Amino acid sequence: MIGLLVIVSLAWTAFVKPEREREKARTAAGIENINPIPQYQASDPGNGQLKNGLIQFWAYTGFRNATSGNLIMIVVGLIFIFLAIKYEYEPLLLVPIGTGILIGNIPFFSDGGLNLQIGIYQDGSVLNYLYFGVMKGVYPPLIFLGIGAMTDFSSLISNPRLLMLGAAAQLGIFVTFIGALLLGFAGPEAAAIGIIGGADGPTAIFLSSRLANGVNILPDGTTVKNLIGPIAIAAYSYMALVPVIQPPIMRIMTTKKERLIRMKPPRAVTRTEKILFPVFGLLLTCFISPSALPLLGMLFFGNLLKESGVTKRLAETARTSLIDIVTILIGLTVGASTQADVFLTRESVMIFGLGACAFGFATFGGVAFAKIMNIFLPEGDKINPLIGNAGVSAVPDSARVSEMEGLREDKTNHLLMHAMGPNVAGVIGSAIAAGILLSYLG
Amino acid sequence: MRLQILLSAAEPVIDSLTWTIVMVGVGIVFLSLILVYLFFRYVLTFIMNFRLKSFARKRGIDPAEVVTAKKMHSGEVNAAIAMALYSYMSELHDVESGVITIKRVSKNYSPWSSKLYNMKNL
Repeated sequence: MIGLLVIVSLAWTAFVKPEREREKARTAAGIENINPIPQYQASDPGNGQLKNGLIQFWAYTGFRNATSGNLIMIVVGLIFIFLAIKYEYEPLLLVPIGTGILIGNIPFFSDGGLNLQIGIYQDGSVLNYLYFGVMKGVYPPLIFLGIGAMTDFSSLISNPRLLMLGAAAQLGIFVTFIGALLLGFAGPEAAAIGIIGGADGPTAIFLSSRLANGVNILPDGTTVKNLIGPIAIAAYSYMALVPVIQPPIMRIMTTKKERLIRMKPPRAVTRTEKILFPVFGLLLTCFISPSALPLLGMLFFGNLLKESGVTKRLAETARTSLIDIVTILIGLTVGASTQADVFLTRESVMIFGLGACAFGFATFGGVAFAKIMNIFLPEGDKINPLIGNAGVSAVPDSARVSEMEGLREDKTNHLLMHAMGPNVAGVIGSAIAAGILLSYLG
Repeated sequence: MRLQILLSAAEPVIDSLTWTIVMVGVGIVFLSLILVYLFFRYVLTFIMNFRLKSFARKRGIDPAEVVTAKKMHSGEVNAAIAMALYSYMSELHDVESGVITIKRVSKNYSPWSSKLYNMKNL
């Protein structure tokens, strides 16, 4: 870390500071619009030609075009990669995102809006074509297909009342929506920020690509801000931090007696039930909230591929190769979308603050609802409120937090299988919430 | 007093549409998942019991004796039964005859590992 800081300071001193001083001197001398690239003159003789060529080359290098913002973001990218490799914090996400941040913040010449087709926001660049999948919301449904093909809904089918915890944990979305409005964000932007509370990266990207994409026009004639990068980074960062954010809230909200509750083991689920779940789940949820169709349709389709037992090859592809390819593309492009001039803004800081609140409220909602349910449930059939936090759809991290907190109190009380129920319900709940927000504000 | 100031400042931002979105949003999320819950709690249980009973009738078993979906055993109980069955079945082979038979297998000639071809003929 110290080494990184030294490198950043040296780079600042060597490249950024002198350039700023030159800019200041130019402004002071009243010289404006100086073309920083001396054009190559074929008629220049000998040394002049070489000198011009070198100056032109220098003008196009990243060193010449670096800004402090680029350097800060490169450090952030390096930290992501470091955390993923050293501490294995969500490496499948943080390595592509971290590398994407490096790629997106390599400085290049773009003065005067010159399009060299390099950057992710420049039309015609390769990165721009890959970013299309994020902008148009193509990648998230494909991720959901893979999630469906790898998720076992048995725990939910055997104890369907746990679905309610998945609904209650969506409280974070709506509280954050109001919070974002109070901080001055426009309605669609606030909705896209609110979905961070769903703790679901693909859903957050899907909704922000529809509502806060920098393209849509608001009723007052202004264009919505492009918040896809900050929202996605905030969502994935907090998902990685679930083991840090949730336990204190869970401990504050529960008594020792509640934490020791033993739940009945889930009953065995038949194959027919497993096949009927995606079919009727799709019909029931999408008839109520058709806007969630791209996400829920693919989720239940993936699950049907898995449970039908006759499409093993397709299910295998969806849960391995397909989801891996899309994860690479989505991670890299979302990372690259954090180009310093777009990402390092006051709004990003506010989004990170709101994101933390969103996760807190979502955890609160799930645990509080489990406690409320316990009031009505008979003795011996109560729910351990420690599984309430799993209502946020960070699969399977939040369920793992329930297990760890349960074991902390009683080393023989395993809650993982129970927590998986609200966890997958949370995926469905956050997709429905995204659909509702989209139908109102899209 | 401070809350009043905050609310009055928020009034133009938090309009009736916002509250509608929040109320409808929370309501629909719950409604959708309650519907799924009701379906799997009652409708699916009914379908499964009906299938089991019709299957029992075809086999000539009294439907009253059929274990319904509600009363199904947990995975742990099933695992214990499976383990017991496995142990019982595997123990059947504990007593062996003690006769060892060696069967000669006829093989076609293949020179791939022949010593003759692998030694240097000095």
